[in-house]
Amino acid sequence: MTSDATSASVGGGTGATDGPPKDGPSATGGRVTTAYPRYVAGRVAGAAVSLLAVLVTSFFLFRLIPGDPVKFMTGGRQVSAEQLAAYREQFGLDLPLWQQFADYCGKALTGDLGTSYQFNAPVVDKITEALPNTLLLTGTAFVLYTALGIALGTRSAWRHGRLGDRFHTGLALVLYSLPSFWLGLLLIVTLSVGIGPLPGLFPTGGMESGGEEGFAYVVDVAHHLVLPVVTLVAVEYGQTLLVTRSALLDEMGGDYLTTARAKGLRDDLVRRRHAVPNALLPTVTLIFINLGRTVAGVILVETVFSWPGLGGLFYQALSVPDLPLVQGLFFVFAAAVIVMNTLADLIYPLFDPRVGR
Amino acid sequence: METNDQYGGHHRTPGRARLVLAAGAAALVLGAGLATPLDPAPRQARAADDGGKVLTVAVAQSVDSLSPFLAVRLLSTSIHRLTYEYLTNYDPEDNHVVPGLATAWESSPDKLTWTYTIRSDSTWSDGERATAEDAAWTFNTMMSDPGAATANGSYVANFEKVTAPSPTKLVIELKKPQATMTALDVPIVPEHVWEKVDDYSEFNNDKDFPVVGNGPFVLTDYKADSHVRLKANKDFWRGAPRFDELVFRYYKDQDAAVSALRKGEVSFVAGSPSLTPAQADSLQGEKNIRVNDAPGRRFYALATNPGARAKNGEKMGDGHPSLLDRRVRNALFMAVDRKTIIDKVFQGHAVEGAGYIPPRFPQYFWEPSAGQELAYDPAEAARLLDEAGYRKNADGKRVGEDGVPLDYRVLCHATDPNDKAVGQYLEEWWGDLGIKTTLTCLDNVTDPWLAGEYDLAFDGWSVNPDPDFVLSIHTCGALPATPEETGATDNFICDRTYDTLYARQLAEYDAGERADIVKQMESRLYDLGYMNVMAYPNAVEAYRTDQIESITTMPAKAGNIYGQDGYWSWWSAVPADSGDAGGGSSSTGVVVGIVAGVVVLVGLGAFAAVRRRATAEDRE
Amino acid sequence: MTTGKWPAARPRAMAWQRRRASAARFWRRYRTHRAGVLGLATLALFVLLALAAPLLVGSGVADVTDAPGSPLERPSGELPFGADRFGRNLLGLVIWGARVSLLVGLFAAVLSVAIGTVIGVTAGHFRGWYATVVMRITDWFLVMPTLVLAIALATVMSRSLLTVVVAIGVTTWPTTARLVRAQTLAVESRPYIERARALGGGHWHIMSRHVLPHVMPLVLAQTTLIISSAILAEATLAFLGLGDPTVVSWGGLLQDAREAGAVSAGHWWYLVPPGIAIALVALAFTLCGRAVESVLNPRLGVSR
Repeated sequence: MTSDATSASVGGGTGATDGPPKDGPSATGGRVTTAYPRYVAGRVAGAAVSLLAVLVTSFFLFRLIPGDPVKFMTGGRQVSAEQLAAYREQFGLDLPLWQQFADYCGKALTGDLGTSYQFNAPVVDKITEALPNTLLLTGTAFVLYTALGIALGTRSAWRHGRLGDRFHTGLALVLYSLPSFWLGLLLIVTLSVGIGPLPGLFPTGGMESGGEEGFAYVVDVAHHLVLPVVTLVAVEYGQTLLVTRSALLDEMGGDYLTTARAKGLRDDLVRRRHAVPNALLPTVTLIFINLGRTVAGVILVETVFSWPGLGGLFYQALSVPDLPLVQGLFFVFAAAVIVMNTLADLIYPLFDPRVGR
Repeated sequence: METNDQYGGHHRTPGRARLVLAAGAAALVLGAGLATPLDPAPRQARAADDGGKVLTVAVAQSVDSLSPFLAVRLLSTSIHRLTYEYLTNYDPEDNHVVPGLATAWESSPDKLTWTYTIRSDSTWSDGERATAEDAAWTFNTMMSDPGAATANGSYVANFEKVTAPSPTKLVIELKKPQATMTALDVPIVPEHVWEKVDDYSEFNNDKDFPVVGNGPFVLTDYKADSHVRLKANKDFWRGAPRFDELVFRYYKDQDAAVSALRKGEVSFVAGSPSLTPAQADSLQGEKNIRVNDAPGRRFYALATNPGARAKNGEKMGDGHPSLLDRRVRNALFMAVDRKTIIDKVFQGHAVEGAGYIPPRFPQYFWEPSAGQELAYDPAEAARLLDEAGYRKNADGKRVGEDGVPLDYRVLCHATDPNDKAVGQYLEEWWGDLGIKTTLTCLDNVTDPWLAGEYDLAFDGWSVNPDPDFVLSIHTCGALPATPEETGATDNFICDRTYDTLYARQLAEYDAGERADIVKQMESRLYDLGYMNVMAYPNAVEAYRTDQIESITTMPAKAGNIYGQDGYWSWWSAVPADSGDAGGGSSSTGVVVGIVAGVVVLVGLGAFAAVRRRATAEDRE
Repeated sequence: MTTGKWPAARPRAMAWQRRRASAARFWRRYRTHRAGVLGLATLALFVLLALAAPLLVGSGVADVTDAPGSPLERPSGELPFGADRFGRNLLGLVIWGARVSLLVGLFAAVLSVAIGTVIGVTAGHFRGWYATVVMRITDWFLVMPTLVLAIALATVMSRSLLTVVVAIGVTTWPTTARLVRAQTLAVESRPYIERARALGGGHWHIMSRHVLPHVMPLVLAQTTLIISSAILAEATLAFLGLGDPTVVSWGGLLQDAREAGAVSAGHWWYLVPPGIAIALVALAFTLCGRAVESVLNPRLGVSR
């Protein structure tokens, strides 16, 4: 989840509500005997419906963008009526809307998302070209901010009210409030352009210098990766921290912890054996949601750091408008969220001892 | 991992989370600490795998297609200039036409048949000789296959027949006389390679490398939105380039490109379309960097909607009717303080506008006479508007006799900061006149533009050594046939006087005579007031003098480097002598390494301290 | 709170009294949250600045024709934050920009929460197929990548402040809808709703008189939190060039700075003030929202 335009789950209390639609697990939670396979089937079917809905939206929403794609493709060049008609036919724009939609869906099922107007290449190719780059960036950032968020959140909860807790919670809130693009720009100014005596340490953007091979290439990419990852981690870890912390605090009020402690179990054992696993539930949910959302939320960071990923591609495609590419990307972004949400739903009952299998 | 122990109190953190955290921190430190010293300071022109010299150019444009039949973007056509010979080329000194693949040319007395002599010392990079048949095949393909006519079809529209009677002789027969026959900017491709292509509208020429060509460089590698790599063609007939490799590296962000130049990662940065004043100023002071602030080949104009219509007479769009009055158009332009635009928006990196064609092309450059000039004069502008019947009402707004207020929509490119900046000035200047201005900034202005749905618009074109194209887009013939079609017209200008002059210059094969007619056309355009040139923006670019010792600008005295008409800059660039500044760079590297190390250590220390304190607190 | 029981004795006055009392109680509890008070103070300062901007800097600060400085002038005594690319006073612009940023943030959040509340309350009240359909739609909006959808909407519509408000409002309501629905379900399961129904209370009566007052606190907390993200979203859209280019806003200033090449020229003073302003206001709203939340939900009191 990005700090930009998404819901405000930093508020301690609403953290857990940011999870996937709760109908599933909580509805089944009452009846301990619900069969897990049936639950899975339900969830998967729901996800399929959602995917279809996304396909519909992406198709129709972007038809509203002003701009005739054929006129863009031909630029200001003199084009005869026949040529325009030929283009329209080539891209199927001459057919009635419902038929275009039917074609689109049919092809989408076979993995064909059309041809990009501006690159004259299959949309799927453009997406698969950019996807690994986005995954590298978001994946690295995701692992780091999740680890950081859980670790600091656990510590904060365990020592809540003390200086360390207040410091970390405060810092997390401050970083969460920063516009990620601004933080990125500042990092570029200070650490890659260099200010005063400070030399530029990192590349300003892009993913590689080009020309390197083997290990040098890996180092080169890592070097380019540092600033965008730092930016993403800084604005994202706070949420994980706060959710972990408040979940753990909830958990610590539980009677069974007092019992465990009364039994003479050591503090850290109580924590590790009892509190943390239970408290991690909302966090696990959040983790999956984040996984899905960071793919889309990375647009800004990719724009600021010229990262050759899906976000930059989306922005490029929107300005044309390169309809097939925009639709394809929108579908990928939404599908990522849906798939991850569904996974979270499927895993939730496996983790939660209170929800039957 | 050693780091685990220094935190103390490690038994208090869940083991797995800590491990991940440590691994993450380690990864970051690795990234920061390991990678940084490798990339410390301005480098020499980088050595290629075989030890050759590499010239890296930062570009802001992505490649649309590498097929000469499809490519229209500047980067792609520049690459084609470097990899395929054209029939003719332009002299870097003063733009006059010089031999390319053709060594000589002549026209028949009836002006309808052109005969070119093709050089015999140009070979394709696969060893075959480049001949007149290749040229004839290229033109014929463009004439017969609409897919192949996508990019350059307009060049062959007037061709009747193209033949190659011998390997060194190319004959082009025309339907009508055409003065631009020595300015056919069409890449000639090898027939034996391209005849195998099935569909020219889909083939992007970006799969099989190296791409067979005969220019000063050979295209060897391309990765979308990343880089284009070219190798020097040692057998190039004009002589081999001095650099061994030329790389165009894509930077989506101009700031990234500028700091890459500063750090020596690239040798040259062009900007899109030029560096901003702030960037130029900050680079000006840098050691080993030269900012090339050269007269540009673009004009930056304010176009007005002349009541857009199609060739069949049907009206298009919804331009404000008041703009059909020349006095109103002139008044609007007279309220534009061009000097302020140069000083404040371009901050000196532009020249005040006059005629249609920039002074970079002196043979065609024209300036209005003193009596003709529409100089900045808001008072006179107000008088003209009063005279035209648009007087101020009680609210200070100008209203026509029909009660329609002067509210104008100005179409601007959301991606061009200059448009938005000048737009704000226009809003205030015209606001003082009692005219309301609404800026409509779009990423892609094509749609309202082609539909004629605007009142005024920011406009600009790059002018070629042969001005035919930029002149042709204001003729009646360029209008779309019907409102549904797209014409070549720029902003729907259609004026008989102008058209007559246009036809005369196109049929005039004498350069001096032709230039005179072109100037008359510019004068006419100026008076009409549909195309008001505000400025000629400079080409502001920069390069590293410790990587490029010398490079040809075009024109030779104060000219641009990127986007030349020809391959002169990259072909002529001389690598800087390596061996100097080496000590400097390594010592900077050490400094940088130390600074990076200290930063990381301080960060880790602070982290550990916080942890320890928290732990201490916890002990109670 | 058993409203339905005494319909006779001056219900309006009693209701007012009760509300005043609970507001006072709320404030007493809120006051104990130091971070919340700090956030409120910061907000008050910014709101004051925004309101007083016409007096402090005047609307002329946005004029380009008589800008006081030279383009990209460094900070000095006369221009404490330096000048923007037109030579305008950057300090004045940041103050002036507060108006747009706060206004857009507020309107967008109100729109978002209003949609969410209406959907949530009705979906909780009318069960059956209506609720099913509405909640499906909500779920569907919930999986839409918010920023992507907002960018798409902003592209589809013309560039204006209204567009930005709508783009943010329309994409951020589902969380509120879910929360409000849950709360509605909880409220409606209480016995007194049964009684109200038995006494002939219609749908409108129950929703407006019984459910709404109970979800209001939640809505209030939610609004505060959403304003924070709406302000960030406004800045984001403006930064991506999807805002109104002729209006001075914080995000727009950052976009100007970037386009002018301030980043590679190292003109940090052009970049820092608008960003800090955004961050401060967003943080202030978040702090307030958290404080409100923990007042309303004491179990979370520990989250201070």
